[in-house]
Amino acid sequence: MDREIVVPGQLLSENTNESGSGTYVKEGKVYSLLYGVTNVKNRISVIPFSGKYIPSRKDFVIGTVFEITSSNWIFDIGSPYDGLLHVSEYPRRIESSMMREIFNIGDSAILRIKDVDASMKIELTLREKGLRKIKGGRLITVPSTKVPRVIGHNGSMVSMLKKETECEIFVGQNGRIWINGKDENMDKISEAIDMIIRESHTSGLTDKISQFLQVQKENEKDSEEEKVEDINTDLETVETAEPEDTEDAEKIDEISRKVDQLLDTEEN
Amino acid sequence: MANKPEKFIDENGLRLDGRAVDEIRPMTIEIGVLSRADGSCYLEWGKNKILAAVYGPRELHPRRMQKPDEAIVRYRYNMAAFSVEDRARPGPSRRSIEISKVSRDAFAPIVMTKYYPSAVIDVFAEVLQADAGTRTAAINAASIALADAGIPMKGLISACAVGKVDGQLVLDLNKDEDNYGNADLPVAMTQDGEISLLQMDGNLTKEEFKKALEMATEGCRQILEIQKEALKKKFASREEVVESLIEVDDIKLEEIQDEIEIIEEDLEACDFEEEEGIEVIVVKTDVSEPADETSEEEFTEFTDNEDSEIDETEDSEEEKVGE
Amino acid sequence: MSSEVMSSLKKDYIYNLMLKGKREDGRSFDEYRNITIQTHVIDKAEGSAKVCIGDTQVLVGVKLQVGAPFPDSPDEGVIITNLEMNPIASPDFEAGPPKEDAIEMARVTDRGIRESGAIDLNKLCITEGEEVWIVFIDVHILNDDGNLQDASALGAIAALMTAKIPAERAGKGEDMMMPIRDIPVGVTVVDIGGELMLDPGLAEETVADSKLTIASNQNGSISAMQKTGEGMLTSEQLLKAVDMACAKAEEIREKYLLSI
Repeated sequence: MDREIVVPGQLLSENTNESGSGTYVKEGKVYSLLYGVTNVKNRISVIPFSGKYIPSRKDFVIGTVFEITSSNWIFDIGSPYDGLLHVSEYPRRIESSMMREIFNIGDSAILRIKDVDASMKIELTLREKGLRKIKGGRLITVPSTKVPRVIGHNGSMVSMLKKETECEIFVGQNGRIWINGKDENMDKISEAIDMIIRESHTSGLTDKISQFLQVQKENEKDSEEEKVEDINTDLETVETAEPEDTEDAEKIDEISRKVDQLLDTEEN
Repeated sequence: MANKPEKFIDENGLRLDGRAVDEIRPMTIEIGVLSRADGSCYLEWGKNKILAAVYGPRELHPRRMQKPDEAIVRYRYNMAAFSVEDRARPGPSRRSIEISKVSRDAFAPIVMTKYYPSAVIDVFAEVLQADAGTRTAAINAASIALADAGIPMKGLISACAVGKVDGQLVLDLNKDEDNYGNADLPVAMTQDGEISLLQMDGNLTKEEFKKALEMATEGCRQILEIQKEALKKKFASREEVVESLIEVDDIKLEEIQDEIEIIEEDLEACDFEEEEGIEVIVVKTDVSEPADETSEEEFTEFTDNEDSEIDETEDSEEEKVGE
Repeated sequence: MSSEVMSSLKKDYIYNLMLKGKREDGRSFDEYRNITIQTHVIDKAEGSAKVCIGDTQVLVGVKLQVGAPFPDSPDEGVIITNLEMNPIASPDFEAGPPKEDAIEMARVTDRGIRESGAIDLNKLCITEGEEVWIVFIDVHILNDDGNLQDASALGAIAALMTAKIPAERAGKGEDMMMPIRDIPVGVTVVDIGGELMLDPGLAEETVADSKLTIASNQNGSISAMQKTGEGMLTSEQLLKAVDMACAKAEEIREKYLLSI
């Protein structure tokens, strides 16, 4: 019973020393606490199939602001517990009155969990390299228990996705993934991630996804001629996303203001 | 409505629906049927049709209801208006409020609420079609939905009722037996046979009660097997699931940890100047983020690293759960 | 809290897709997600239908009871439509009495059925001025992935089409099928940044400036409309929306309802 699907309450061992994570001991025996799969190393632990993201210190997460107080931005981090970003955790000094200009409601950021106290008060920080407000690109949400699959063994999946699609990818431990790159590449990556989640229970996934992306590339070459037309028409109507290019990014920003007139009104 | 049958048990000892006195109705279970819920289960038991969903753990409002050291569990048993012969008025009734309460209590011994301080775990059981024994059917479905939501539990809860018709004890009452029977004893229990819900109405002697409890225990044991099987069958190929979940788990943590720390130091050292420089621009144009200046290369490196770190934290998270 | 605020990135994404004539799930603007309709799903109800539009799931049950007619229509049956946005269906729904959204949706569903004359209410009269059939249409939302309104309307008419009036049980003569005269179909059009689309998914619904639901009948006439949301629609948009909705209603009726 090295690796087995188990249900809560299932007997795992009669040796209490083997009680690992996701298990409990009752009357000298070890039982599963979770619906998941056993993993036997020194101890037996159970890895759950599903479950909410529970923040812990030093986690990297992607959050979205839903409330602003006099000194905190409150982020939804896809967990039962909201994250607080105190103004002092912003990389530079800002006045309370400027908070909305830095992060308005609906804005997202890559953050790190600075501290979690016993009552699950979550303190966030932006004062580290790489942490920042997210502009452009897309956010994808996956179940947080699937995050390891998106990352792959030693980061193999993410590296492969990056290489094949030339996109930036950031995988938050809370199951939010930010991608940024050319639109068609982002489409590909979203599809690939969908596939990872759908087939997360199968083995050899990295190869499968890699193959999938290769096939996409082939198809692209085939249909290149058709595409040229499409792109031309696109350009007339739209500033398509080329997010690395700040000018374009700004135009997109402008467009999106129409979507949500609440956003950024103070700016004008 | 049908009239009262003359006899509920025939000369061969079989009930009107052909079951033996100690036989439960057929039960089917589907898991993960609602995309919005964190866990869900559709259960048919006889003509009962129950849909259960679990949302949470999630934030609890209002704040004063929160418990600082554990999650609270809320349970809502609700009947669809069209679930019964005569349309039920939508919304809670005194009956459904009582059932909700005792059902919630039935789960209290097994749900590990202490892992989720201040949060709430919501369990919703909707009776889409009622055919006697809805509260026990709802508990069986809710039990699966909780497991599907990844809620840590000491075990599953299984429930069924024993009743008395024609002076004889029968397991898992059907509608007629329920309507015209002389006793009804719904019971929910853990896998060890510890009873977490018990109600009774009608009339039983002490001896009958003892026997009824034995029958209920046997019924719950059978139901537990059905529940376990449904959970284990959810994934078609066992081998593959297992492979995939474990894959990420085998990384040498210390190495990664070291690497991360080094990189963090490097970055912190070089970072501030950049940010100071931008500050002026930021204030005036409000294009904002200092970190926007991060070159793509740096960023890539950073994310690479942290990818690995996730594996590390996964383990530390496990420590929180396990004991 | 989590679902109340949508990240502006997601909004931008949907908006930018729209500018390119695309949608999140690759549909065209006038394309529905997969529709499935299962009827006779609840034996205890006189008529029932479960409708799925993509991941949206709605269960509608029709129950009949004998009751008194309204004084101003003594020879007509009564329709009562109720809609429950159960907390089972979405993290955003709360237990409790129906809120304004649920009431609005129930009333729009009701008007589509009532105003089209889909049910021949005279045939539901048992004794003029005394006893008529009361038709309860109960819409039970099971999973909200957007466009509950169309799913509800579709479920309501499908459930009615399968409903049998239990006259024998009530001692009021012979059982009969629900007297259906028309098959109204409600189709909701959303306006996202000036573009009109059908069958909004959850995110599209959140982003939409406004929605317009149009219930149309077999002869192409319109029997109910409702504009929802804070945005405004131009008259050109309205006319276009009506065309889109009626065409789609016709298609849905042909494909899914006539065979019931």
